[in-house]
Amino acid sequence: MWRATVKGLIAHKLRLALTALSVVLGVSFVTGTYVLTDTLGAFFDGAFAEATAGTDVLVQSAAGTDDDTPDALEPVDESVLTTVQGVDGVRVAEGMVGGFAQMVGRDGKPIGGQGPPTLGFSWGPTTELYPLTIHAGTKPDAPGEVAIDAATARKQHFGVGDRIKILFTGPAEEFTVSAIVGFGKSDNLGGATIAAFTLADAQRVVGQRGKYDQIGIVADDGASVDALVQRLEGALPDDIEARRGEEVAADEADQIKGQINFLGTALRFFAGIALFVGAFIIANTFSIIVAQRTKELALLRALGASGRQVLGSVLGEALAIGVAASIAGIGLGLLVGAGLRALFQTIAGGGNLPGASILLLPRTVVVGLVVGTGTTLVSAIAPARRASRLSPVAAMREDWSTAGEAGLSVLRLVGVAVALAAGGALLGRGLFGSDVALRFAIIGAGALLVFVGVALGSALVTRPLTGVIGAPMARIGGVAGRLARQNAARNPKRTAATAAALMVGLGMVSAITVMGSSIKTSLNKVIDEAFSADLTVTPKGNQEGVFSPEVAERVRKVEGVDQVVSLRFGTFQAEGRRRFLISPSERGLASVLDLDVQQGSVDALADGGVLLHEDIAGKRGLGVGDTLRMDLPTGPIDVNVDGIFRDRRVLDTSYLLSRRDYERGFTEQNDGVLLVDVAEGREVAAAGRQITKGLEDDFPNVQVRDQEAFKEEASANVNQILALVSALLLLAVIIALLGIANTLALSIFERTRELGLLRAVGMSRRQTRRMVRAESVIVAVLGAVLGIVVGVGFGILIVRALYDEGIRQLTVPAGQLVVLIVAAAVAGILAAIFPARRAARLDILQAIASD
Amino acid sequence: MATGVKTAASRADGVVKVYGKDVTEVRALDEISVDFAPATFTAIMGPSGSGKSSLLHCLAGLDRVTSGRVMLGDIEVSGLDEKGLTQLRRDKVGFIFQGFNLVPTLTALENITLPMALAGRKADKEWLDAVVATVGLGSRLHHRPNELSGGEQQRVAAARAMLSRPEVVFADEPTGNLDSRSGAQLLEFLEQAVSEFDQTIVMVTHDPIAASHAGRVVFMADGKVVDEMAAPTARKVLDRMKRLEA
Repeated sequence: MWRATVKGLIAHKLRLALTALSVVLGVSFVTGTYVLTDTLGAFFDGAFAEATAGTDVLVQSAAGTDDDTPDALEPVDESVLTTVQGVDGVRVAEGMVGGFAQMVGRDGKPIGGQGPPTLGFSWGPTTELYPLTIHAGTKPDAPGEVAIDAATARKQHFGVGDRIKILFTGPAEEFTVSAIVGFGKSDNLGGATIAAFTLADAQRVVGQRGKYDQIGIVADDGASVDALVQRLEGALPDDIEARRGEEVAADEADQIKGQINFLGTALRFFAGIALFVGAFIIANTFSIIVAQRTKELALLRALGASGRQVLGSVLGEALAIGVAASIAGIGLGLLVGAGLRALFQTIAGGGNLPGASILLLPRTVVVGLVVGTGTTLVSAIAPARRASRLSPVAAMREDWSTAGEAGLSVLRLVGVAVALAAGGALLGRGLFGSDVALRFAIIGAGALLVFVGVALGSALVTRPLTGVIGAPMARIGGVAGRLARQNAARNPKRTAATAAALMVGLGMVSAITVMGSSIKTSLNKVIDEAFSADLTVTPKGNQEGVFSPEVAERVRKVEGVDQVVSLRFGTFQAEGRRRFLISPSERGLASVLDLDVQQGSVDALADGGVLLHEDIAGKRGLGVGDTLRMDLPTGPIDVNVDGIFRDRRVLDTSYLLSRRDYERGFTEQNDGVLLVDVAEGREVAAAGRQITKGLEDDFPNVQVRDQEAFKEEASANVNQILALVSALLLLAVIIALLGIANTLALSIFERTRELGLLRAVGMSRRQTRRMVRAESVIVAVLGAVLGIVVGVGFGILIVRALYDEGIRQLTVPAGQLVVLIVAAAVAGILAAIFPARRAARLDILQAIASD
Repeated sequence: MATGVKTAASRADGVVKVYGKDVTEVRALDEISVDFAPATFTAIMGPSGSGKSSLLHCLAGLDRVTSGRVMLGDIEVSGLDEKGLTQLRRDKVGFIFQGFNLVPTLTALENITLPMALAGRKADKEWLDAVVATVGLGSRLHHRPNELSGGEQQRVAAARAMLSRPEVVFADEPTGNLDSRSGAQLLEFLEQAVSEFDQTIVMVTHDPIAASHAGRVVFMADGKVVDEMAAPTARKVLDRMKRLEA
């Protein structure tokens, strides 16, 4: 029996190769993402270990370390250093600070800032504490000197002795480059730019005069570091802790790795979709092959093979393909991983990642093999069972090529109903249920079931649908078009399964398209309704930057400016969770924003206090006049509830803290956004230009935008995400197209004699190609239509579920969906290139004489 | 000679057909010359491997000759390119094969008009009616092939072959898969086409009874014409075949 399996494999190598390709692509995607995340993870482990290699102990604020954000480190007072230096076993202790510092290129444009951070920090006298290696020049030891990373120096052509402008949250300053440095063995830190200053300069530019972020310690030779940590802990107050350097490094690396792994998980989600699509294709291919081999398999049965042996033979074929494709996929995955790493490196600003050789962990190989082989085997089960139930009499029947696979059974109808009902229920629960555990898994499973249900059910409507879709083809394409339409309808299950593969990818694309359009319209509506500021001032780039309060002061002085409201952001702990708050400056707030205040007033904030969103106020039973205890970074304070507001579509927070209390509760005082109202009768654009002019020299990292630009940017952000997700779904779509090509090739093989006959009675090669192409287009458009129907349905559900998040406008972008159908039609033509050529090249004599 | 070329509906002139190369070389047609007059019904017979099917394929432009000349009316088939051959198949020749003659997705009527549709032409209504009436399919025209009996399917194929009024209809074992009654019906229809519509028919067959419906039988062996017989009967044909195979 095994021999028959192997022979079968060899005999059908082309179609199996195409089938295997869908597995190969899916597995390579899975493997590639693991390779990427493992490689980057190892790199950051190494980089952070290197960063603290010479540091035995770090002393820093204990507050915020249980938090998951790296920037939550509260500074410690300079006086702590004296305490530390007095502890036995400390050879050297040195204060360090770090923060935002963005260098400006010779063209006046800020360098970096779109991806990895732009770091500035102090470089004190104790060399062991710093991972910097000097490539040229000398360490900065006088005010106004800076060391910059070698990658930036190289790309922006800076050398020792050059002047360089650097942006901070405060005003920009000019420095003299005294050294070009590397980070350990690399030219920068994973793409982050580095500017290192003398301690005093660093404290000034990051706004930490008289404070340190950390104190780095080198222990006496031979001293036990653990014992030193113990002694330091004893000497320091409770809110300041001492930890081993390598421990801190591991924590920091873990934080970044957490983000990388999140990225990996997101990418694997798309790999999963690709494999899901692949499963359709494998199932379909095996169904077709089993149908085509009916005679051969029945002959085996007639010669005494048991049903179980036939089942084993087909599954054995699937196993062999699965293993081979998985191995190929893992190999390709290494390349994908390397490619992604290169891409990452480019995005990271060309910083090299030395020592980060491509990592293939055993786990990756196991996952790749299990996923690839599993998908193939599971997909082949149904066709294999069908093969095993073939009666030996089938060997005697003549018409295998014209008979469809078994009819549409009641079982199928039941399956459709169950899949749709269960899928719908899961979607409903996942999208609309409150406090659902594993929400995304439930939504995913629901979507999966709906897709399966539609795929199974679509066979029932394939005939009428292909009739409609094929109508224009039949009209334009003449007899070739009519035949194509008939061919598409002739085996509804096969056509439906082939189209379903495309449906999945395009369904997801339609869903996110609907979601994206709805978000865009909703955003625009919010901006129109609730946001009346003429201009906004924000940091450039995507990073959550902040800027000095001096910016607001300068804007206020610009002629024509009526009101300037500044917003400051912060987080605090409440009920064990981190909450986000915004502190607006009170004056003029009402004229730039409509908060829909229900009780109390915005003006009351001038004397301190907080405005609460009605949901939080209701949940916690708070009203105007009550006090709320807030655990702010400098310690807990009691604040008065000044009012209850309802509209948080613009300021997405439940807590609006008065500026007075913000200044008490937070050490850093920087603005995140300025909302500017231009005086009545003044031209907004002119005021905007004036503001820009007044800021561009000292604060080139802030930008001024009017409402339109604000809307455009909001839309652009949504578009960017849409484009990214669509690109990631492209793989699933490509696999589906391979599926169409494969099914067509198999159908053509099966219709050899019919094609020969058509050619013999006068069909030209061109007509033959046209016929195959038209069939492909019909199948592709069918898949697109099904996908759009399901996807728009998903999109509407998701948008409805996001109602409370402020997405209240449902927009179904008909134009984009039509484009999707046209694109599917074009893709159908592409998928048909090879099968059409094959059909046209068919040797008529062989075709008609094949018995 | 010149008049011969004009008068023959189909003609092979010193045709050689070689399959394979070197050791596997098979000389299927060995400088064969034969012609078929218009409005005649000729059967080609011969033992397996005698080259009768190869001859048919070459005459019909389904296969290319190694050397020699094939004429269809005054068209030199052996000189046509792929496009010319497609045109030829649409307009100048009709085919009836042993099995699988019809496109399963098309109705009987659509199958009959298929070559016209492929050429982008409309069938002449009167002629279509006449052909359909002769084949006797009236009520079954809108059925699909799998709803028709084997005999009906072959008659649909025959009607299709006639519809474009081709120079020659080539039939390759058209009764091979039919029971004797259905076979006889088909052959009667072919005879009728010759006598009533002046159709030229060339048929390859194994069956002496089928051959007896033709006006002339050409016997082949080893890629050559070895004998012919006018006004054949089943008896005479069988005897001749026995001698050939002996």
